[in-house]
Formats: sequence, C-alpha cells, structure tokens
Amino acid sequence: MAVNETLRVLRTLRYDAGHFSLFLQAGTIGPQAQPGNFAMLQAGDGLRPYLRRAFSIADVTTWRGVPAIEFVMKVVGVGTEMLGRFSEGTPVPVLGPLGIPFPIGDLEPGDRVALVAGGIGLAPLVLLARRLSEKGIEADLFYGGRNESDVLKRADFERLLGSHHCRYASDDGSIGRHGKVTELFEGALAAGIGFRRVYACGPVPMFRALARILEEGKIDASFAFESEMACGFGVCLGCVAPTADGRFATICREGPCLPPSAIDWSRL
Amino acid sequence: MSTVDLAVQLGSLRLKNPIATASGTFGYGLEFSEFVDLSSLGAISVKGLSLRPCHGNPPPRICETDAGMLNAIGLQNVGVEAFLAEKLPELDRLGATVIANVWGDTEDDYCAVVERIGAERRIAAIELNVSCPNVVKGGMVFGNDPAALGVLVRKVRAVARRPLIVKLSPNVGDIVATARAAVDNGADILSLINTLVGLAIDLERREPKIGFTTGGLSGPAIRPVAVRMVWEVRKALPKIPIFGIGGIERTEDVIEFLIAGANAVQVGTANFRNPSLSAELVKGVAEWCAAHGESRVSNIVGTLKTRPRLEHTYA
Ligand SMILES: Cc1cc2nc3c(=O)[nH]c(=O)nc-3n(C[C@H](O)[C@H](O)[C@H](O)COP(=O)(O)OP(=O)(O)OC[C@H]3O[C@@H](n4cnc5c(N)ncnc54)[C@H](O)[C@@H]3O)c2cc1C
Ligand SMILES: Cc1cc2nc3c(=O)[nH]c(=O)nc-3n(C[C@H](O)[C@H](O)[C@H](O)COP(=O)(O)O)c2cc1C
Ligand code: FES
Repeated sequence: MAVNETLRVLRTLRYDAGHFSLFLQAGTIGPQAQPGNFAMLQAGDGLRPYLRRAFSIADVTTWRGVPAIEFVMKVVGVGTEMLGRFSEGTPVPVLGPLGIPFPIGDLEPGDRVALVAGGIGLAPLVLLARRLSEKGIEADLFYGGRNESDVLKRADFERLLGSHHCRYASDDGSIGRHGKVTELFEGALAAGIGFRRVYACGPVPMFRALARILEEGKIDASFAFESEMACGFGVCLGCVAPTADGRFATICREGPCLPPSAIDWSRL
Repeated sequence: MSTVDLAVQLGSLRLKNPIATASGTFGYGLEFSEFVDLSSLGAISVKGLSLRPCHGNPPPRICETDAGMLNAIGLQNVGVEAFLAEKLPELDRLGATVIANVWGDTEDDYCAVVERIGAERRIAAIELNVSCPNVVKGGMVFGNDPAALGVLVRKVRAVARRPLIVKLSPNVGDIVATARAAVDNGADILSLINTLVGLAIDLERREPKIGFTTGGLSGPAIRPVAVRMVWEVRKALPKIPIFGIGGIERTEDVIEFLIAGANAVQVGTANFRNPSLSAELVKGVAEWCAAHGESRVSNIVGTLKTRPRLEHTYA
C-alpha cells in the first residue's frame, strides 16, 4: 500500500558526472519496497519544480544503523539538481512504494537470470540483485554506459552477484567491452548461457534492441519503463505507453515493470 | 476552536464542505482512498465519462511548465457503463459524494451518457465538460460558442434527472456570455475554469513537447485568471451557484475563490503533487474561518469589496 510521508535526508553520496545516491529515512515505505517499485519525490516546497519526480527505489539498507532507502540519481534538470543539493536532515515528501515490481516470486533456486542495465537504468536492479542473492538465484549483470563514469555501484553488484557474474560495456571503451550492452548480452547468449528471465532498465534504444533479441530467442523478460509522470499512481493518465493490444497503459500503475511483449514498439 | 459550519448549498446540491476535487485529477476517486477519507470531502468529480470507453491521445501527453503543467490526455476513460458497475458501488460504500463528469463528441452523445445515468441516486450531480481543449471533436466546440452551448445544455437538461453542472471553458473572449447561455438553458450550477490552451516547445527538436501539439494549462499559473472569471460571472449572475477551479494549492487559495464569488471549489492538479491535499484543505478552511471569526463558511462567498475604477489621467 502506497504511503504519502515526509522522510529526512540521511546522506548524499556523490559519484562522477552528476550522479549521486540519496539516502532517506526508510519510513514505512522502505520495509514495503520490492525491486522495481518507485517513489515520487518532491524537490523543495516551491513551485519549481512543480510536480514530484519519479525515482526507482534502488536499495533498502541502513546508514549508521538507521533504516534507509537509497535512490541513485543523475542530474538532468531542475528537480534532480535540487535533490542533489539537499543536506542531511532536509525533509522530502515521498509517495511510495509505487508500481508493479519485477516478477521474482516464481523463481526457484537453480534458476539463472540476467540483469541488463543502461546508464542510470541500474537503479532498480540493485535491490533486485539483493533479493535474488537472498533467494539463491544465479544472476548475471550486463551493464553499459557511455563511459566509465556512467557505470555505477559496481562494487555493490559484484558483492551481491559475484564479480565473475558482472560484465560491463561502454561506448568509448573506458570500461569493459567497447560497444553496446546489448552486444555484451548477445555474446553471453551466443556462448550458450540460458536465462530463465531477463530483467532490464535503460533508455528506449537499448530496450528496442533488447526486445528484438529476446523475441528472437523467445526469452521471458521484464523491463522497467520510464515516462514523464505527473502523479505516479494512475490518476492523471499522463504516463502512458502504447500496448500491443491497441490501448494505452499507464507506466506508473500497470508498470513500470512490464514484459516487452506488452508494448507496441512501432508506436512507442 | 469554535465549530465552524462548513456546509454549502449549491442549488439543490448540499455539500458537507466547500472542498471538492476536479475531474481528471482525482481518477475515479478510489485511487485516492489510501490518502484521503473520501467521505470527508465535499464532493469528488470523477474522470470525464463517455458513452463508450475511450483510449485517449497518443503520448507524450503531459509536460511540466512553470507553476503548472500542460496536458492533452484526450479524455481516456473506462466508459459510463464500467464506471457505474465497477466504481460507483465502492465509492458509495466509502461515503463519497460523487459528481459524474461527462462528455461526448455530439449532442446525442452527451444526452446518451446523461440518460444512462438517469436518476441514479448515488450520483449527486452531473457535470458537463464542454470545455476540453484536447480532443479534435466535441468538447471545445460547445464551450466556445454561446449559441451551440445553449442548444446542448437545453437538450441535456431535458433528459437529465440529477442536478446539472456546466463546466465552462476559459478559452473565450467573454466568459459571461457562455455562463449566461448555460444558465438560460437550464444549468443548475456552473463550474469554472477548465484548462487554458497552451503550447510548450522542445527547443532542440523544434517540436511541441505534447503529442497533440497544444495542451491544457493547469496549476497555480492559471489561478488569477480563474479567480477573475469567477468574479465576473458572480457579478453578472448573482444567484447561480459556482464551483471555482484553477490552481488551488493552499487554504488561502480556497478563500480567495470564495471571496470572488464561488460557493465551493474543486482542487485539481495539486492532487498530483500531494494526494492528501484535499482533506488537508477541509481542515485548513475550518481553521481559517475560526481565526477570522466566521461561523459559517458560506458567509464568505462573494464578499469582495472592489474599488471604483477611475479613468486614467495624463500629466
Ligand atoms: C518509474 C521511473 C523511475 C525512475 N527512476 C530513476 C532513477 O532511479 N534515477 C534517476 O536518475 N532517474 C530516474 N527516473 C527519471 C527521473 O524521473 C527524471 O530524470 C526526473 O524526473 C527529471 O527531473 P528534473 O526536474 O531533474 O528534469 P526536468 O527539468 O524535468 O527534465 C530534464 C530532462 O529530463 C527529461 N525527463 C523529465 N522527466 C523524465 C522522466 N520521468 N523520465 C525520463 N526523462 C525525463 C525531460 O524530458 C528533459 O529532457 C525515473 C523515471 C521513472 C518514470
Ligand atoms: C491531467 C488532467 C486531466 C483533466 N481531465 C479533465 C476531464 O476529464 N474533464 C474535465 O472536465 N476537466 C478535466 N481537467 C481539468 C480540471 O478538472 C481543472 O478544471 C483544471 O485542471 C484547472 O484546475 P487546476 O489548476 O486546479 O488543475 C483535467 C486536468 C488535468 C490536469
Ligand atoms: S503518472 Fe499519472 S497516471 Fe501515471
């Protein structure tokens, strides 16, 4: 059940190139959060930014013994800019947890799955990696970005999944394979690795390429979609994507985690 | 704190307080039941209903603007049939006072939805949306033209068996002309305003940010326009009950609308920003009245004291 509560900033951790982690008190949202859920955060009490912003719940952890929710963000505009400047103790109105999470309930020990991330799309996959490792599911990470600064939280993934299960790609070759993350993933398929399911989050071009590969290989998948959102809980009908059955689905309520086969890629 | 009488009377429609929620910003109400006790609100106006379910416009449908947003949802809704069967019983169980916001492409469409609602007692009033700027047909055609609006309202009035609210468009030169056309042809209540047509541009692509090109502007940015229109209609039509709508965020905004002449208000886009806001405003209005020695909220309505407008002089 979604909660509308005010949570204080515990800590801000800065990475390269405008990326940062924002740790908030867990409140009642943290304990309920499942991988793939997101929250709507209000950046400041002024009129700019006016609407709340959507962020994946990247992890549920502790900071100095205090239960915390972690968000991993990239500064792209006024809202993320403000959130990045919040100091310890700043109250942030948060609505969450929201949306349909990644389906993991049906996985069994012995299953092997893949996590495919592009850029800031790593965010929902951290908590997913944590839950999968708790369940004893073998998971491989394929993570790509433009360059090394785009490929975040590698230590966390390597700890949760095992470093031999984490593979990287970058457009400029500064980390991992020189090229696209989808090529990295295709390489694993070509090497004969079979995946029970693929979980992915990233930009639309990555989704398009991946959806084609998965369709050809008839591999089950769940993608965490993004869209501009005004409300985050299914009432404004602003965040929709075209569906294969000819409708528009709200990304915030029917998603954000949806099988790629549910989307009409030709109209997206 | 002395108790304040928050009840307001809009024609035959009695509300327990003047805080309602605006159509399209409150879903079918049920989505908010986690955040608000629906029975604590004056009323909720549900997402615009059409005779048949409607898919709405292709995305992108929304974008943020300074102190507000543009939307061109295109009236996506489940249709009146599904609403009555699947949503209304639950709303009734939760004690909500429900306003059915309806629309159509043609006069016959409007009448058909209204007839389908019939004398349904769980619907407190019907609100005609004649002012949606985001569909190619219908909506605005009626909202912009007093003559066409008059004909539509008369036809709907003839089949309506619940109190009839007509929701006016601000995208007109003379709001009083459309207000009069609605009232003269049988509107029991007016609500104003709907969104103002706007355009936002993605500079790099040189394309509109909204798929429909233009969208409806809502939020605090439009409030002064809405307050002015409520005031103009109140002056011209002293008796007609009015819902004031547009950019309400705080208790003071509600009071401003009441002073301008609204009998009640509808909270819109701000519900997205804070889903608990409407219930907070009910408390806020009671506190404001108590602090200002007002025992009945309805006493505030239309109490604006204007100064005479003097002609300019030259040096
Ligand atoms: C379910 C969901 C989960 C998300 N998770 C994360 C996350 O974990 N970390 C993270 O950094 N970002 C995430 N995002 C994207 C994040 O919501 C946007 O980056 C943010 O809203 C931008 O706000 P701003 O005020 O900084 O930028 P604005 O000034 O509003 O916009 C700057 C640019 O970003 C684009 N933009 C705005 N909103 C979105 C959006 N919702 N999605 C994509 N582009 C957008 C605009 O078109 C514009 O080009 C998520 C989005 C969704 C819908
Ligand atoms: C996303 C969105 C959807 C809307 N849908 C409807 C609708 O279906 N019917 C209607 O009469 N008004 C609709 N409106 C208009 C609002 O009810 C209201 O009149 C307008 O937004 C101004 O109020 P505000 O500034 O408080 O939002 C919609 C507004 C928004 C922002
Ligand atoms: S963001 Fe409002 S419906 Fe999805």
